[in-house]
Amino acid sequence: MRVSMKWLKQYINSNVGPEELAEILTSGGIEVGAVECLNKGFKDVYIGEIKAIHPHPDSDKLQVCLVQIDTKELTIVTGATNVLQGDKIPVAVPGAVLPGGKEIQPTELRGIPSNGMLCSDKELGIESVGLDRSKGGILILPSDAPVGKKLEDYLELDDHVLELELYPNRPDCLSMVNVAREVGTLLGVQPSLPEWAQGEVPVWPEDIKQKVEIENPDLSWRYAALLVDDVVIKPSPLWMQNRLRAAGIRPINNIVDITNYCMLEMGQPLHAFDRDKLNGTIRVRLASQGEKIVSLDGTERKLDSDMLVIADDRGPVAIAGVMGGLDSEVTDKTTKILFESAHFLGASIRRTSRKLGLRSESSSRFEKGVNPYWAVPTLGRVAELLIELEAGNPMSFTEKVCYLPPAVQIEVSLNRVNKVLGVDYTSQEIEKVLDALNFAYKQKQEDIFLVDIPSYRQDIKIEVDMIEEIARVIGYDRIPTTLPAGAQTGGRRTPEQAFRLKLRKTLIKCGMNEVVSYSFVKKESDQIWGSDRGNIPLLNPLREELGTMRTSLLPGLLEIASRNSARRNMDLLLFEIGSVYLPKELPLTALPEEVTRIAGLAQGGDKRHWLVPQAKYDFFYVKGILSEIAKESGVQFEYRRVEGSKYKTLLHPGRSAEIFIQGINIGVVGEIYPQLDQEWGLQRPVLFELDFAQLFKESNQTIIAKSYPRFPAIQRDLAVVVPKDIPAEKIQKRVFELGGELLKEVEIFDVYQGHPVPEGHKSLALTMRYQSAERTLKDEEVNALNSNILSGIQQEFGAEWRK
Amino acid sequence: MREEIQRIKEKTLAELEKVNLMEELQELKVKVMGKKGSLTSLLKQMGGLSPEERPIIGQVINEVRTQLEEAWENQARNLEKKALARRLEEERIDISLPGFYLPKGHQHPLSKVIEEIEDIFVGMGFTIAEGPEIETDYYNFEALNLPKDHPARDMQDTFFITEDILLRTQTSPVQVRTMQKMKPGLPVKIIAPGKVYRNDDDATHSPMFHQVEGLLVDKGVRMSDLKGILLYFSRQMFGESREIRLRPSFFPFTEPSAEVDVSCMLCGGEGCRLCKGTGWIEILGSGMVHPRVLESGGYNPNEVTGFAFGMGVERIAMLKYGIEDMRLLFDNDIRFLEQF
Ligand SMILES: [Zn+2]
Repeated sequence: MRVSMKWLKQYINSNVGPEELAEILTSGGIEVGAVECLNKGFKDVYIGEIKAIHPHPDSDKLQVCLVQIDTKELTIVTGATNVLQGDKIPVAVPGAVLPGGKEIQPTELRGIPSNGMLCSDKELGIESVGLDRSKGGILILPSDAPVGKKLEDYLELDDHVLELELYPNRPDCLSMVNVAREVGTLLGVQPSLPEWAQGEVPVWPEDIKQKVEIENPDLSWRYAALLVDDVVIKPSPLWMQNRLRAAGIRPINNIVDITNYCMLEMGQPLHAFDRDKLNGTIRVRLASQGEKIVSLDGTERKLDSDMLVIADDRGPVAIAGVMGGLDSEVTDKTTKILFESAHFLGASIRRTSRKLGLRSESSSRFEKGVNPYWAVPTLGRVAELLIELEAGNPMSFTEKVCYLPPAVQIEVSLNRVNKVLGVDYTSQEIEKVLDALNFAYKQKQEDIFLVDIPSYRQDIKIEVDMIEEIARVIGYDRIPTTLPAGAQTGGRRTPEQAFRLKLRKTLIKCGMNEVVSYSFVKKESDQIWGSDRGNIPLLNPLREELGTMRTSLLPGLLEIASRNSARRNMDLLLFEIGSVYLPKELPLTALPEEVTRIAGLAQGGDKRHWLVPQAKYDFFYVKGILSEIAKESGVQFEYRRVEGSKYKTLLHPGRSAEIFIQGINIGVVGEIYPQLDQEWGLQRPVLFELDFAQLFKESNQTIIAKSYPRFPAIQRDLAVVVPKDIPAEKIQKRVFELGGELLKEVEIFDVYQGHPVPEGHKSLALTMRYQSAERTLKDEEVNALNSNILSGIQQEFGAEWRK
Repeated sequence: MREEIQRIKEKTLAELEKVNLMEELQELKVKVMGKKGSLTSLLKQMGGLSPEERPIIGQVINEVRTQLEEAWENQARNLEKKALARRLEEERIDISLPGFYLPKGHQHPLSKVIEEIEDIFVGMGFTIAEGPEIETDYYNFEALNLPKDHPARDMQDTFFITEDILLRTQTSPVQVRTMQKMKPGLPVKIIAPGKVYRNDDDATHSPMFHQVEGLLVDKGVRMSDLKGILLYFSRQMFGESREIRLRPSFFPFTEPSAEVDVSCMLCGGEGCRLCKGTGWIEILGSGMVHPRVLESGGYNPNEVTGFAFGMGVERIAMLKYGIEDMRLLFDNDIRFLEQF
């Protein structure tokens, strides 16, 4: 809602400035988004009249105008071609300033002195002013524009507009009258409002010929019509045009302008029908399926059976509360009018407007809620203006009322106000607030008020609404700061939340960077990487490639990696912890499962350093990170080659594994399948994805400390050559078994293939740590154990001892 | 023989002077005083001397021996010193070279801010609740006093999956879910961080973003308590000298409702670019839980009251780290992420 200060001050006697008022309103709960000065920055621009136009003797693109301002006559050279002798035009005289700071100086154009400049609307920063001929050229003002007057005064641009950003609970402030009430309350000033603004109901003779019917009283509570004869269509007076322009509405003609002006005053949308184009009874009814109407904007609209229309005997003449029909539009030839002032249910108008993709001043007001009590008083104001503007004669009236919401009375207890807010207001303070609000009230007891809520405040329904009203008028600053007096509670994360945080920190410790990606992804990528159970599409995605709820975190990571790689960020260690959305059935009839996953992507290698060779972010690097996760979770991961699952074609079959904890599959790790990486612009990234819930279920985070042995350990290394297909882990495990209980640890510290190791073989170097809790071990017994191991694996794997 | 002794002494001392290495020093010692050394062999010839001469010559040899040993030791110390000096010289490194690189990962600024907010409220006795991101219309709107076709639904552009299932537009549905789970237990004292979704995308809006919801329901909860809790939070989050102010606002699920501003962390309230000259920065929406929401949760609004608040994590992250474009938070460029 755009509120002109000049307009407001017709009702409010105060010299408060626009900025100050903006602040007062904002801290009172009516947010002012912007304060706009209507004059966009011009100075000393006068209305002039063109007395004569001559061609420039030295140029066929220029003209020389003789312009009269007041008693002075100025010679001005212009390049404009749209001006005629006798036109009233804005003249920037020497010394004038235009928006943007341009200053006008006397000058000479090809030998002819020019003392000023004729201006276009664009140069002045104004809109919807002037004759049609102004388009693309000099602004040509109406012929009655007073020569010599400052343009700023003529158009009342010495005004400020407050742009109210209204919350949906205050549609009452879509009315200048109610804004004046609100300003009055917050400033502590009684607004002076005319009688029509106080709900006075005018009386006209009832029209017996024009019948009105409401077929759907649940969707339309009231329909009132004022019938007007002897209509003369002409421009509305300048003052009205100026007010409308300030409010952001383009002046059209006296009738349309009156409907808009009264709507701005009272908040009640109005519509004017050409009565000669109407036939028979006016009906408020639902459209029949497929019924058509050409709306005022010239578009043919197909209607649904849940859309409310205004119809006459022949068919729809308006889409109720949204837009009138072209057929019954008021034109220059109109002489008889029916003014509609009605109530339509917000929800219905909202649905219709949405379905048709058609919004109007009227529909946006009805959606938010219009006060049905003001339908007829607004028509009273229309009648008053018709007469004042000599635009027509209000003759008769007809109306149908189905329902009016009952008056609301609220009991407000001082004790309750103070308890809810934590304040200590007195009864006197409450009385003061109620007086400032102009709400009538009785005191049941000294501290219990019975408050009558005026019909225009539909937002106040129960006591807490009044408590807010009292708090905001007194000011939220008066509320002190306290701490809750209730029982103390111990706050903590649940074990699951704590575990999730721990894993996040673990991955960060491992050098991984956390990313956050959108939960919706491209359908195709999710189908490739995600669940076989199908994925959940959005009905109204932002973009097609954000149209599907993910069932895997991997496409998101690939996308991020791809974006980074395109920017030459090639070395990546990324992870994300987030939900995937697994439908129980499709289309959804119940909420899907939301499952937390941990996923990662590694590509490239660590930062190159002069001291050490670069570590590559390959399968084993990632496996190392996973073993940190396993360690933090207190579990052992078991890796099995991917067989049979869809990962067979997504991950390199020789460089991937499914991950198990005690036989339960909890995820997958592997290098991307050859060539798939190129589709993403990546270079052999390694991916993993784990199911957090499973991991949490299997995790064991209990730590039981053991003391360390007092006797020294003996370490032995052993290098063997084995056929290359035997998994190292298998040998490692067997060695551990063969070593008996004194062997505490076996680690693989080197793997080598190539000369001099024979073809088809690899060399493994193991280190073994022997230790006893009871005694210091002797070399001889360790040697015996070692050779036992060696002969064991020689027999079993055909291993050769490598000296 | 005396001359012979004297000659060995002088020759040895002269050679000693020239010795540069510890090994040479040792060799020389063996050559003179070893089993077959020149001085040792003189000692062996003493048998041929007269009994009178023997002790005298013996003493002379011993004296020379002592002198030589002293000289050796001196020279040995010298050599050690030289060797040490040489080693120090040789082991000199270019200390300007970069130190060893320790790989370090980074937490995403959003999860960092959420963790920080969680810690502050956990410290005040709140527990952390969670709820689904794919929600029913009932929990996201209706239970929060937002019936179908309510104009306030326009405040949030919703992503729909079916007519009744949608992506939650706010973390507020967790309020009702938690109350329903806990009723009639008191107090209900939770925060609920999580992802929310709105059909919007520009420099200040992202179609997915994060909120942290807060809820306290108990007997006798006051709006002044809300103010107290949020003042404490703001000071923990943005610095000890912060102040807050409440402005009347509107949310369907709170009444009274308040927008909360914190005094500008950049200028301290004097007015600057960050706070657009006002000295205040809007950080969250809040209010007293609407009686109808308490009823949805299964509590009697005549017996309990509550406050609720909700804050945008992106906004707080942007304020805290001076991020100007929200899209950076979801772009995930590692050059951006590595700053946190
Ligand atoms: Zn500031």
